[in-house]
Amino acid sequence: MEDKTIQIIEALIFASDSPLPVNKIKEILEGIGAREIRAAVNKLNQRYDELPSALKIVEVAGGFQMVTRPDYADYLARLYKSRQTHRLTHKALETLAIIAYKQPITKQEMEHIRGVNVDGVVRTLIERNLITVVGREKAPGNPLLYGTTKEFLEYFGLKSLDDLPKLKEIDELLKGDEKFLESLDQVVLEQMAPEELGIANAEINQDENKSESDAKENDQDESS
Amino acid sequence: MRYRIKLDIFEGPFDLLLFLIRKNEVDIYDIPIADITEQFLEYIEALQILDLNVAGDFIEMVAILMHIKARMLLPKSPLESDDEHEDPRTELVERLLEYKRFKEVSFELQTLESERRKYFPRRDFKFITFPENISTEEYLEKVTLFDLMIAFKRALESMPKVTYHEVRRIDVTVEQQTEFLLEQLRQKQMILFQDLMKQFKEKILLIVTFIALLELVRKGEVVVRQSGVFDDIRIKLKDAA
Repeated sequence: MEDKTIQIIEALIFASDSPLPVNKIKEILEGIGAREIRAAVNKLNQRYDELPSALKIVEVAGGFQMVTRPDYADYLARLYKSRQTHRLTHKALETLAIIAYKQPITKQEMEHIRGVNVDGVVRTLIERNLITVVGREKAPGNPLLYGTTKEFLEYFGLKSLDDLPKLKEIDELLKGDEKFLESLDQVVLEQMAPEELGIANAEINQDENKSESDAKENDQDESS
Repeated sequence: MRYRIKLDIFEGPFDLLLFLIRKNEVDIYDIPIADITEQFLEYIEALQILDLNVAGDFIEMVAILMHIKARMLLPKSPLESDDEHEDPRTELVERLLEYKRFKEVSFELQTLESERRKYFPRRDFKFITFPENISTEEYLEKVTLFDLMIAFKRALESMPKVTYHEVRRIDVTVEQQTEFLLEQLRQKQMILFQDLMKQFKEKILLIVTFIALLELVRKGEVVVRQSGVFDDIRIKLKDAA
């Protein structure tokens, strides 16, 4: 492949405001194949490695995107201090996971799985452009169906929906020592009243002072 | 000593249930419903849920648990073999596992989120001015149904507000229309509902006449008949019917 072609592809990816799909490159560079484009991207990444460069090209949301390497994340975070979006809450992540794997899906189905109302979370996810309305279900009331967006793929660094982590099988789910239950135990011991709830243990005395001060803090929050 | 507890440590009733199952070290397929229900209630009491929306979700779960408990107390039908007998807990267990599956994958998504946040793409392409002759198709490429809905809502909101409301005297009474209806029926024996309503130009007149008609039906002075759903309704005087 001519160096010129590789450079053109580099320029296109650099100047694109969103992940640049292979097809778009094909449209611009007539007669080029997908394999050649990939080869060019690999070549470019190889050059960046050799330089070394702070940049690299990643494949995300069905296209190529030029990004800074993770090593510089701290500095860039400082640059974008006030403009960085907040991380998603657990509530949002849970709901988003359900939508991602089950799309298109209605709010009612999400609520059946989560066991809680999802109105607020769905609104937040729409505002952040991670999900969108993709249609209406042909059922009584024609409820709205939701699905994920391209921005969702970009947000999680996924090439496509096939790239989502695999869901666990039942037997895997039944295995002990799950991450989230452990973290939950921890929070419960810290935030709740252990003796009241019958899960008291030797650590109570230490926790008590902490809980007390927490309670005071909350009191102040409410009065202010 | 009183404690204030944040409810948000549990994302919902399923989290609390999973926590209790783990705390009691019981098999998820063999949940001691009575014990778990009792503990569940203790927890929501202690959690002092003030937000009614959130409380509702937890109370719904209590109802589900109670229902299962009741079904488990019922003796098994002698006609049912062991194989046929379905454990009342099955559906709940399946929902719990389904929830857990998404809960766990949400942690993986969180890891991906953290990883991706270390990569910074270029932002702010304000210097690119869009050419005037951009095709509508290209312009609308990213527009979703939802964007259109929002745009429509904004357009509606920015419409000039109508700040006056005209109140007109209603110079028609139910009594008048009752008389009118009876008069019509005496003349014609039978009227079709559609024909009756067609002659009224004003909504209020239509409403009052309809009320008069309902009143006459209630008093048993007229009868109404309809041959099929959405068919026209025939109205007759009681004695003529």
